[in-house]
Amino acid sequence: MSILYDEGQEAIATESRRVLDARTSKDRLLKLLTEVGQFDKPFWDTAVEQGWTALAIPEEHGGLGLGLAELGLVAQATGAATAGAPFLTVGYGAAQALVAAGVAELQAQWLPKLASGEVLATVAFAEGTTPLPAAPAVTFADGKLTGTKHGVTAGIAADVAIVLASHGGKPALVLAELSDANRAPIDSYDNTRLYADLTFSGTPGVLLIEGEAASTLALDLLARMAVVTAHEQTGGAEALLFTARDYALTRKAFGQPIGAFQSVKHRIAELYGFVEIARANCIHAVASEGKDNFVLAAADARIAATDAYDTAARDTVQVHGGIGATWEGGLHLHMRRARSLAVEQGNLMFWEDLLVDQLVGEPA
Amino acid sequence: MTDFEAYRASARAFLESVVGEFGKEARRGLSVEEDLAYGRRYMARKYDAGFGGINWPKEYGGQGLTHTHKLIFDTEEAQFAMPVVYFGISLGMPVPILMHHGQDKEFVKERVTKALRGEEIWCQLFSEPSGGSDLAGLRTRAEVDGNGWKLNGQKLWTSWAQYCDYGVIVARTDPAAQKHKGLTYYWVDMKAPGVDVRPIKLAGGDSHVNEVFFDDVRLEDSQRMSPVGGGFAVAMHTLMIERYIATDSAGFGPPLDLFVELAKDTDYAGRPAIEDGRIRSAIARNHAMRAGLDSITARAMLKMQAGMEAGPEGSLNKLVAVRSRQKLSELAMDLKGNSGFPYSEHVSAREDWSASWINAPTGRIAGGADEMLLNTIAEKILGLPQDHRPDKGVPFNQIPA
Repeated sequence: MSILYDEGQEAIATESRRVLDARTSKDRLLKLLTEVGQFDKPFWDTAVEQGWTALAIPEEHGGLGLGLAELGLVAQATGAATAGAPFLTVGYGAAQALVAAGVAELQAQWLPKLASGEVLATVAFAEGTTPLPAAPAVTFADGKLTGTKHGVTAGIAADVAIVLASHGGKPALVLAELSDANRAPIDSYDNTRLYADLTFSGTPGVLLIEGEAASTLALDLLARMAVVTAHEQTGGAEALLFTARDYALTRKAFGQPIGAFQSVKHRIAELYGFVEIARANCIHAVASEGKDNFVLAAADARIAATDAYDTAARDTVQVHGGIGATWEGGLHLHMRRARSLAVEQGNLMFWEDLLVDQLVGEPA
Repeated sequence: MTDFEAYRASARAFLESVVGEFGKEARRGLSVEEDLAYGRRYMARKYDAGFGGINWPKEYGGQGLTHTHKLIFDTEEAQFAMPVVYFGISLGMPVPILMHHGQDKEFVKERVTKALRGEEIWCQLFSEPSGGSDLAGLRTRAEVDGNGWKLNGQKLWTSWAQYCDYGVIVARTDPAAQKHKGLTYYWVDMKAPGVDVRPIKLAGGDSHVNEVFFDDVRLEDSQRMSPVGGGFAVAMHTLMIERYIATDSAGFGPPLDLFVELAKDTDYAGRPAIEDGRIRSAIARNHAMRAGLDSITARAMLKMQAGMEAGPEGSLNKLVAVRSRQKLSELAMDLKGNSGFPYSEHVSAREDWSASWINAPTGRIAGGADEMLLNTIAEKILGLPQDHRPDKGVPFNQIPA
């Protein structure tokens, strides 16, 4: 199963790359690495101005009514640029939660504001090392949330979160405004991800969905965010592939471009393989949206893209030699992002297990 | 239903009608010669049903359809394990190149028809002891002999030569020219006096490749298929002629399902191996890799159906799939442990992990070694420089041997 992008989608890919190329500043991103709680405002202004926040939100709620394919293409461009704000993916997850849960007044209240970028939303599912806890320690009772979600992406800045909690012993998805929650910002290796521990102490929330349906929806949302992230990882890996290629063409040693040495050129050719397999899996996942095999396809995409971005980060630095390891060179922006994206939305072990469960038909 | 879907359905209908007679089960336990006889009969049946030479011109006995139609048929046919392996090279390269470059049209038409019906088989005599990846390093000589040529030398790794009626061959006609410029391309009668075919037993026990010796073999000038000294270009054309062939993300080894079943059925450390994290990781990684390759292939098909050129990423298939198959086969053998020692030469690499493992190296070497494929990706797709080649611009007979 696959698709070919149509002209509109190709235009989104080209335009998002063009605008981010023009407006991304390596120096600005390097400075942000040392600041906790800050994100790249020029990037986020661009995202809102370009309508990326509205892309995958239905038209009746102020969105553009497009889908995973279009958002994925934008995510490839943001990945290539190591964009300095995390809101697109988790905002999409939160919006999809509202769309799928189907509570009309909540949709009317929140979706237009998410589409316009007026409200920043995130998703808080993971606990400890478990991306999708079956029995969350965070509880929801009498309309109030209690407990802590650690390392929530965008947790420092989000206005609202979709929280996976236990409600009377059953899993539930709860929408909570974060003004009442305690945020403990985390000084991390990739600070524009805005990680924070969110502690709820009787924080008011609204139940979206509970029980079996909540578990199913949470998995679907995680898979959707994983597919967006896989596009972002693929974009990052591809940018590194070209960076390595360009450097190998210009840098000379022993009287010839280093790209003429097989140890270097084969390393770069292998990266091409990683990138294209990741891209093909991303497209396959997009083509599988809404089908029975979607979670399996998302796992394929996630595994291939994580592998591609980690490998590209490792090998591109290696091809650059000493300059690749410097602060000013900036390749560590990708090294850092490769790791932060590899962990957000579930690590490799999680997706490998999930893939095998899907294949075998039952959890082992 | 689109034309392509209808074509796929008609291909399936034909294949289903003959699978009982020619499929895997009907041929279990046959010798190679017996299997080849089934293959010849199957090819004739296929030709009579209108599935021979699908994308070849009607004037030569083909069907005059598109490359996509052929890919659709090949993809379907591969699922039925028909006895077609003997004809893959013959119909893939030598016979198409004969249609392009053969001098005598009536002769060509007769050969094409017989090759499509499985009555004649052609081989490709390119590799030599001194030149495989470095094709232009070949040393087989063709010298002017009256109004024709005299051929002397040795070819190596020639698939199915022992069953072949004809071959296409590149030989050196001018040792004083630079190595790419002194070559000429011919067809050769494999039954001619002076041709000696000796099968080579491979590590897995089968002998589908050969060394072929030429001792004063007479070639008429009408057998020449390139200008004198223009053989390298025709050789390159031969290798490019199948621009997108049916691929297999399993690397022509067993499907991943077979590994999953093995892991479910095998206990390790007191529990099913499917619960072991190492096994799960291997399954997941292989699944992601194969799904990516399948998606690349599916997209190439969609592009070709839409009249567009398929992307260069299709070149990854063999490189990635066969390496992975090799490692997965090792892991499967580990899983079987001491119960996995029994071995037979007569099982298919698609059905058996040991057969897959022992035969994997040929898959990583034949038709472009991994290292050559990486060079091609680096140079043709990414624009990286060629390797340093000390023999460049040097007359062939002055290159140190």
